[in-house]
Amino acid sequence: MTRFELNGRDVSVEVADDTPLLWVIRDDLGLTGTKFGCGIGLCGACTLHIDGRAIRSCITPLGAVANARVTTIEGLDPKGQHPLQKAWIATQAPQCGYCQSGQIMQAATLLKDFPDPSDQDIDAVMNGSLCRCMAYVRIRQAIKLAAAELRSGTVHEGTAHE
Amino acid sequence: MGQHVGTALARIVADELEADWQSVRLNYVDTHPKWGLMVTGGSWSVWQSFEPLSQAGAAGRIALIEEGARLLGVAPAACTARNSRVQAGKRSISYAEIVQRGDLTRSLTADELKRIPLKKPTERRLIGKETLAIDVPSKTDGSARYGIDARVEGMVHARPLLPPTRYGAKVVSIDDSAAKSVKGYLKSIALDDPSGTVPGWVMVYADSFTAANSAAEKMQVTWAAGDTANVSEQDLLDHGAKLIDDPAVGSLVWPDEGVDEAFAKAKSTLERTYSTASVLHFQLEPLNALAFEKDGIWEIHTGNQWQSLILPVLAKALGVGQDKIIMRSYLLGGGFGRRLNGDYAVPAALAAKAIGKPVKMLCTRADDVRFDSIRSPSIQRLRLAFGEGGSVIAMEHHAAAGWPTQIMVPDFMPKGANGVPYDPFAIAGADHWYSVGAHRVRALSNDLANRTFRPGWLRSVGPGWTNWALECFMDEAAHSVDADPLAFRLALLDGKGRNAGSAPNAVGGATRQAKVLKRAAEKTNWGGTLPADSGLGIATTFGQERGMPTWLACVARVKVDRASGVVKLEKLTIVVDAGTIVHPDGALAQMEGAALWGVSMTLHEGTQIEKGEVKDTNLDTYTPLRMGDVPEMEIEFLPSTEAAVGLGEPATTVVGPAIGNAIFAAVGARLRHLPIRPADVLQLLKKTS
Amino acid sequence: MIKRIYIGLAILVVLGAALFFALVWRPTIAPIAPGSVAGFPAELVAKGEALAGAGYCATCHTVKGGQPYAGGYGMPTPFGVIYSTNITPDPDSGIGRWSEAAFMRAMHEGVSRDGSHLYPAFPYDYFTKVADEDVRALYAFLMTREPVSAPAQRNTLPFPFNIRVLQAGWKLLFMDQGRYRPVAGKSEAWNRGAYLAEGLSHCAACHTPRNVLGAEKAADDSYAGAMIEGWFAPALTAANTTPLPWTQDELFTYLRSGATALHGVAAGKMSDVVHDLGRLPDADIQAISVYFADLNGSSALKTGSDEALAKALATSALGSRLEPDAGAVLYWAACGSCHYNSATTPLSVRPELALNSALTAATPDTFIHIVMAGIGLEEGIPNVLMPAFSQALNDGEIAKIADYLRRTRTELPAWEQLEARVAAIRRESAGSADLSP
Repeated sequence: MTRFELNGRDVSVEVADDTPLLWVIRDDLGLTGTKFGCGIGLCGACTLHIDGRAIRSCITPLGAVANARVTTIEGLDPKGQHPLQKAWIATQAPQCGYCQSGQIMQAATLLKDFPDPSDQDIDAVMNGSLCRCMAYVRIRQAIKLAAAELRSGTVHEGTAHE
Repeated sequence: MGQHVGTALARIVADELEADWQSVRLNYVDTHPKWGLMVTGGSWSVWQSFEPLSQAGAAGRIALIEEGARLLGVAPAACTARNSRVQAGKRSISYAEIVQRGDLTRSLTADELKRIPLKKPTERRLIGKETLAIDVPSKTDGSARYGIDARVEGMVHARPLLPPTRYGAKVVSIDDSAAKSVKGYLKSIALDDPSGTVPGWVMVYADSFTAANSAAEKMQVTWAAGDTANVSEQDLLDHGAKLIDDPAVGSLVWPDEGVDEAFAKAKSTLERTYSTASVLHFQLEPLNALAFEKDGIWEIHTGNQWQSLILPVLAKALGVGQDKIIMRSYLLGGGFGRRLNGDYAVPAALAAKAIGKPVKMLCTRADDVRFDSIRSPSIQRLRLAFGEGGSVIAMEHHAAAGWPTQIMVPDFMPKGANGVPYDPFAIAGADHWYSVGAHRVRALSNDLANRTFRPGWLRSVGPGWTNWALECFMDEAAHSVDADPLAFRLALLDGKGRNAGSAPNAVGGATRQAKVLKRAAEKTNWGGTLPADSGLGIATTFGQERGMPTWLACVARVKVDRASGVVKLEKLTIVVDAGTIVHPDGALAQMEGAALWGVSMTLHEGTQIEKGEVKDTNLDTYTPLRMGDVPEMEIEFLPSTEAAVGLGEPATTVVGPAIGNAIFAAVGARLRHLPIRPADVLQLLKKTS
Repeated sequence: MIKRIYIGLAILVVLGAALFFALVWRPTIAPIAPGSVAGFPAELVAKGEALAGAGYCATCHTVKGGQPYAGGYGMPTPFGVIYSTNITPDPDSGIGRWSEAAFMRAMHEGVSRDGSHLYPAFPYDYFTKVADEDVRALYAFLMTREPVSAPAQRNTLPFPFNIRVLQAGWKLLFMDQGRYRPVAGKSEAWNRGAYLAEGLSHCAACHTPRNVLGAEKAADDSYAGAMIEGWFAPALTAANTTPLPWTQDELFTYLRSGATALHGVAAGKMSDVVHDLGRLPDADIQAISVYFADLNGSSALKTGSDEALAKALATSALGSRLEPDAGAVLYWAACGSCHYNSATTPLSVRPELALNSALTAATPDTFIHIVMAGIGLEEGIPNVLMPAFSQALNDGEIAKIADYLRRTRTELPAWEQLEARVAAIRRESAGSADLSP
């Protein structure tokens, strides 16, 4: 039995400790916004937050998050209105959309560490998140847009689980 | 497919329907014969649907006005429709009320539909105006549902074990003794496939995907491989070259008279060979499908681009009529043509049938890649005959590659002049709009490729390689007669004869291609000077197919590092004339994505067939373009009210040759193979120095 | 004559035996009745708890997921696996029948209550320096733990290393018995730091190279860095290879929080060390920092060197744009998202590899270990997790990343035979996973 906090609520699962967190969340806990892409931590589609930082869940075993706080795209903001999510819509970043949960979760950590990211900061941090539709131009725009909103001091109420 | 073309299509209907855009929603339909051909591909969606959807919208408007007029007690002629309301003077009634209160039964014949006058471009309210795509919000909060998210009560999970060759492999033995130690492992079954889609597949079942995956890793399966087990990439290219050498084979797509005579009397000739390597789709969502039978009906839940193609195959595999199968629609985590070929639905269905339970089959990334319908390697030989003063008097273009259409839908193949069918998607692009005198285009099916893997339609298909050859060749031809590559092309794009174009799709013909080319040159200061080892390369294409030309020109600016051979792509400037643009931002997104696909296939991707299989099976060695590799991009749409044509793929076709030509301009190295690797550049630089 | 010679020889043999006996024989110390020691003052127990942290008692005397102090933890040594024993007050399998004197003798002399010699895997060669009153506090702490019945695991030492009496010879050769003596002319904090570091915290046990018999090498090798259980414990002297000096502030931050922005995180064994030192007050951590800052000479330097920092940070983005280098491609797909730092300041939550001793060490072992095993939430910097890449990347790929970073982030010579080293560590890790009973 492993216990952890998922999007603000306590969850317990009876799954082997070495099961990748990705599959526990998708198949056992039913949150499918976190995606499976490569299975070896190189595409970023499975990115979620552990204790508030972006991690590839396909190579993170369940046992590693015992008692930790896990946040998925579904929990980034209760209303789906995180500045990044709003910016993603404003710039129409998604195409097929499959990688975007991971992109957004990775970008959230990027902005936490680099509130006013340069192109180099964005490239370096986001390089690990593959977008097969190659919507990179808009992802970069969206990150800058969200960064500006966050810096403008608009109080954002939605980071309940962060 | 989910890349917002639904928004464009809805805009077309809603514009003629005079519907309130705020009330428009998208519903994806499941398979049913009433929908006719169900396919999303070829960059056809807007082009094919524009007229019928406009007519449908207009017919709906007419019906609503007539019934609204009756309810208002006025003559239809006194009514207009706007924002989902029918108005007569100061009185009006909403569409919703008309539907609730009125009788909207109204039939129109196909002829009547055709006679309905459609709006003039100036009267449009939605088409060509900016809007947010309908399906984007769900892709930012995790609520969008893809095939991989499908689930049904009581389903078991399965991961396939793939044989060493795509065809002809047989299971010799299955030993699951080690797999039995995996908690949740159920059983393993060698699939019996009457459709021949997945010969030699073994399905590993478990109560979770992770258990199926772990068990699969512990399985000991031996196969007798098919006869392509030792085929290499070079074998495929060599075989293609051999086919080209034999004038008796292949399909004569353009059979102009006088080609041989022109070459015989030519002042000079130029002959070059170009090749491209295998390319993976690598759509990010690995292949998956959920299948089950309920009350005699088979349900297949999966993301798919061409339901009409796989339904009969599923019927054959399951031994039931097509009317006993429904495919449920899901978003797909990238198509790029991979999901035109629905072969992955077959093993899921067979697996469900074999175990008698709902089965969710999911491929690992490596399974997905090994089962990919890759873009075939290609080899092409181009020849040009020059007359007096460097004038072009004849041309030949021979292209050999694996043919997806031959393997998967041979009925789609037209016949060449010599009676031999050809895959139109595998040769499109060679039938270009340059006036080159007598022109021979010959398409050759690489049968060894067809047997080694299942060739796929990959974003732009043939134009991805034919234009690589054609546009590099035009550059070489220009340089061979000391002409400027831009001026050389413009002279050939004279819009004369068969290149004059025709209504409705190609009005203006080659003159429109010349126009985008001139505009791209103008935007990039063509002919100006650049720093050392930097260069501009130009290329132009007509996108997907001659019958639906999307006119494109691209100028690439590169800087080549002579020490490492690394090509730094600094900027892409692309000018496009795609006729009427329905959803401008969506159109731009498609141009951006497709252009970067072109960059990726030129500089980053590409794999090889090794021992009958794809060499690179995951991102550790297969390296598509990432954020840090994105060049500066400038994309301009020329305003037009001509027929709306495709935009999903065209930009992939023009980028590669522009980069290749830019490298030549920068350092004099002429690359003739895709992808371009630094080592290849370095080798050429050593030769030239 | 011959007879006298025989007698003489016999006397010599007897004398020799007696001398040997005197040197190696230790009496059994009488058992006490279980539960007979009680009523330890709470402050003594609390002091013992902090000291138990300083000595990492739980780290070696607890198996993963097991009862604290119940022993059974396997320590691979070049001679075989030695298992720690149960030090809970269980009468039969633990130290429930040990008097304080027996405990004191074990700590100071490495002799069990029954008189047998202990292996120096129990670091009594350091604990001998611990003051009596601190040993008493430790005794009070341990004797007030919950008794756990956990019989000892059998060591896997082959002959002759399984002959315990030989440990007496080891002690004769290598051990200086006796309590810590303050060094005149050094500050109180320095002496406190030295007392902890040289004694209970036994820093040299990992950071000083050992000879073939498992003893510290010559004095000038003290804290010169050493391999321990497959990890590299870096030099704590001026020979340390990180680009920025380990100043007192850096040492303090690292030991207190598990990470610093300028040096990285505590991983592997060092993670346990930081964890356990957590029970010591700030003043003691400062004292240890004072001692090592003096030892490595950084007390003469200012905090960091701006130039070295700028140089290191300038490498952080290298290769993040098109690079025909498989190592760079892998690094930017797998690692860069978390390790990249912008050009001004490194963030402690983004360990800057150019500043990290894992990358500047003479051997790649620590680097490889971390890539393969990752770093848990409770290791290193709290609440920052690094996933394990052992299943995701193969030996060649991990080697490529290591080679790439070493080549581009340091000016040190390339690591040799990287792929073979990764393969070896993969095998060893698989083997040590089997150590747990």
